[in-house]
Amino acid sequence: MTAIPHAMCLFQRVSFTVLLILFFGLITGSFAQEKYPNRPITIIAPFPPGGVADLTARPVAAALEKVLKNPVVVVNKTGAAGAVGMSFVANSKPDGYNLLMALSSISIIPEADKLFDRKPAYTMDQLVPIALISADPTIFVVSADRPWKSARELVDDAKKRPGQISFSSSGVYGTLHMAMEMLSHAGAISLKHVPYSGAGPALTAILGGHVDTLASGPAVVIPHIKAGKLRPLAGWGAKRIQSLPDVATFKELGYDIEFYIWAGLFAPRGTPEPVIKSVRESVRQAVNTPEFKTAMEKLETPIAYLDAPEFQKFWDNDAKMLAAAIKRVGKLEIPEAK
Amino acid sequence: MTTDRFASGVLALFALLVIWESRALPLGTFRQPGPAYIPILLASLLLIFAIFLAAAASRAPSFSSIHWTEWRHALAILASCIFAVAAMERLGYRLTVLLVLGFLLKVVEKRGWGVTIAFALALPFGSFYLFYTLLRVPLPQGPFGL
Amino acid sequence: MSETLQNLYLGFSVALTPSVLLYAFVGCVIGTLVGVLPGVGPLAGISLLLPVSFGLDATSAIVLLAGIYYGAMYGGSTTSILMRIPGEAASVMTCIDGYAMTRKGRAGPALAIAAAGSYIAGTFSVVALMLLAPPLASFALRFGPPEYFSLLLLGLLALAYMSGASMLKSLAMAALGLLFGMIGIDPMTGFSRFSYGLVELGDGIGVVPVAVGLFGLSEILLTAGQPAAPEVTKPRLSELLPSREEWRASLWPIGRGTVLGFLIGIIPGSAHIIASFVSYAVERRVSKHPERFGQGAIEGVAGPESANNAATSGAFVPMLALGVPSGPIPAVMIAAMMVHGVSPGPLLISQQPELFWGFIASMYVGNVVLLILNLPLVGVFVNLLRVPYPFLYPGILMFCILGVYAVNGSVVDVGIMTAMGALGYGLRKFDFETAPVVLGLVLAPMMEMSFRQSLSMSSGSYSIFITRPIALVLLMVGLALLLSSIVSFVRKNEDWRQRLGFARRAREKSQLPID
Repeated sequence: MTAIPHAMCLFQRVSFTVLLILFFGLITGSFAQEKYPNRPITIIAPFPPGGVADLTARPVAAALEKVLKNPVVVVNKTGAAGAVGMSFVANSKPDGYNLLMALSSISIIPEADKLFDRKPAYTMDQLVPIALISADPTIFVVSADRPWKSARELVDDAKKRPGQISFSSSGVYGTLHMAMEMLSHAGAISLKHVPYSGAGPALTAILGGHVDTLASGPAVVIPHIKAGKLRPLAGWGAKRIQSLPDVATFKELGYDIEFYIWAGLFAPRGTPEPVIKSVRESVRQAVNTPEFKTAMEKLETPIAYLDAPEFQKFWDNDAKMLAAAIKRVGKLEIPEAK
Repeated sequence: MTTDRFASGVLALFALLVIWESRALPLGTFRQPGPAYIPILLASLLLIFAIFLAAAASRAPSFSSIHWTEWRHALAILASCIFAVAAMERLGYRLTVLLVLGFLLKVVEKRGWGVTIAFALALPFGSFYLFYTLLRVPLPQGPFGL
Repeated sequence: MSETLQNLYLGFSVALTPSVLLYAFVGCVIGTLVGVLPGVGPLAGISLLLPVSFGLDATSAIVLLAGIYYGAMYGGSTTSILMRIPGEAASVMTCIDGYAMTRKGRAGPALAIAAAGSYIAGTFSVVALMLLAPPLASFALRFGPPEYFSLLLLGLLALAYMSGASMLKSLAMAALGLLFGMIGIDPMTGFSRFSYGLVELGDGIGVVPVAVGLFGLSEILLTAGQPAAPEVTKPRLSELLPSREEWRASLWPIGRGTVLGFLIGIIPGSAHIIASFVSYAVERRVSKHPERFGQGAIEGVAGPESANNAATSGAFVPMLALGVPSGPIPAVMIAAMMVHGVSPGPLLISQQPELFWGFIASMYVGNVVLLILNLPLVGVFVNLLRVPYPFLYPGILMFCILGVYAVNGSVVDVGIMTAMGALGYGLRKFDFETAPVVLGLVLAPMMEMSFRQSLSMSSGSYSIFITRPIALVLLMVGLALLLSSIVSFVRKNEDWRQRLGFARRAREKSQLPID
């Protein structure tokens, strides 16, 4: 046994003091028992901070906290285009303390898994919709220095030069890709797809002129439209976007497509009915608070609140559309090597 | 058997494993590479490097000259890390780290009970307080709110 | 010019108000604390602490975040130098010579030079940002996939100069790292590669767990069981500051690192991570005594640290000038701005001058605050090394686990760190360098993606790399570098043969008749 050096006695003493102080921390943290909710509720945002899911989740969390008088925290669980966070909630204990703020990609991931014969990270029946919070209609923009002045002009040009006009997207089978796929199908055209790893890089690509067009959520492109760098040609919504009243919708132009990048709150299936009711009611109140409205205004994201039953219908419809689009895209044909 | 030969053998095996695992993915063409293209390319490169490394009669020391004297400690540390991975989200951060530190200090380093307990309590609880409570860094919590 | 000065005056008047100064200071402190965690760098720091800023007004929030960002960077170099644990992925190169200096008792100077280099680089970048933001940003936007690929190829060439030992071994390690980068869902086609059903591996294995495992954990595994404590010369108080030669030796590396880092940083994307690698390679190439690298050459700390700071600051150029989310860190800053109702776009500078200039001024203030904060702390940090190793390493292990977990909130990352720790242990036993693995891992996904994107854009034609001017220039530079290294390879004939071991065989053969 080596002789204990002098420093260690000091170390022991210091440690014991620290230990005593910290014991208080332990004791204060542990005991608080009431009914639901009696612990902090976690809203999982399956995307990195700064993304749409994250930015929408935070005002919701803040407003919910006020209504429930109980802490509501947003935790980012990122990975695999959202699959990690979504499967985490889908497989978590259905006690109402783990909620999910998901985007429309929630319907895409299980379909893509099916396509590649992967064990699905989660299935859509593992999740129960609570409420739709926002639904941004996607908007179709082109680089300002390109010649097309209207959507029809572009579609006609695309018919003449199939596979020449390019678009960037946030990733293969992502929401932006699917939106363009719906357009290609409705207009019977074929475009060149250059996938990027996220909505940010996709936007950077079109701003740099490396691709011709982009389907994007409106909030991030509106500043660039106003500055004259991008030109909006049409929108995928049922109605025109409020801040862009001159931009027609695809429906108006004769293409029967509708696509939103929406954000909604989900809970794992099996969560007790009273808990779900309580959350639904709280969300309904939270969405109507003035602070929430201001927060969403600042984000330039219109509130499109739908309670659970209507949201379920909306979601089913959306999922069907996306599943059809994914099947059409299929596995991208990789030409066989000779 | 030199160290380099052994290592290049392992690397070559790994490269072959990668090539084998890529067989299910489409290769694509020169003009449109598929998902298997670059991995197979890289694995082939690794294989070539490994072969060259093995072939070069380098001044590499013999395999038996490597000392593994610290392997027990290393194994214990790795075991504690694996335990941490398995336990952290079930037992929570503080409890897991407490057990890991206790194990390392008492069993591996054979220190006294007093200092072990002090350390094993102060560090995880202190860091948890600093990072979770004060700075709101999400850390897992386990039973009893620990 | 006078308008710029006026604006700067406006910016400073905003930045130097007591409340804003306070936020900058608080941000720096928090950032340093978080940055000291292994693996948690500026991106993780800002992402984790973004919610903290939500209650504040726009300028204070941005200033706080900028402080956190800088603090995290400074904090990251501390762990790299003192314990050979990368504070963030880009600090990997600092670990090598920084820790070697610590072993020799020169931890203080290493930390001081790292701080000074970061400060100089940060200040320069801020000035360049201020004066040149819009034109630089437009230039940077012209980097599309072909240009990006050529740039990354250049970065890969940096490998050639990264280590002094066997070139073949470094290449093998790079290939290994590149292969690790292939794990995950292929972004171009959606196929999962080598992820064996683990959802968390969909994005690949992450640089942070690999860097912390290969460098930090492997160091612990190698040292913990040693009968003798690792010889760390305990520094005396007077030796906490760098000597005059060290200052002199660092000046050029800092300068080169700054310019290099800034230029790499303004390019949209995540290429800024390679800035420190490239700087190390440049310093080694330019040095008259390259064999000192790896043993504690101050240039190996000064260059990469400055390059890293300049690159991350450079990443703000497209963000501020054009509202382009040019990388993960600017994307988070843009989100923070949007939450506060500021919409970043090309008109940000003209419409919200207080925000822009306040941000710039606060970056400068942040740099000064951190310098003041860190230099005295050097003594404190160095004293941590006095703790006996059997107590030190469990503590370090705990922080590694904490840091790696905190980045993504995922235990899978901790598992990867463990596996990489074991791998690093083995690699170092067999005398392989681990830095090329990290570089390969960082480069592979970006290179593959930009390569296949370029081919997508050109519908399969390889000429896209030659017809686009910037890509062509970069490729030519790369070719020139490659040729020059082959030439010097061949010229140092004996050296080359020694490296590949042929000399020994030749010597053996020539000895036979004598025997």
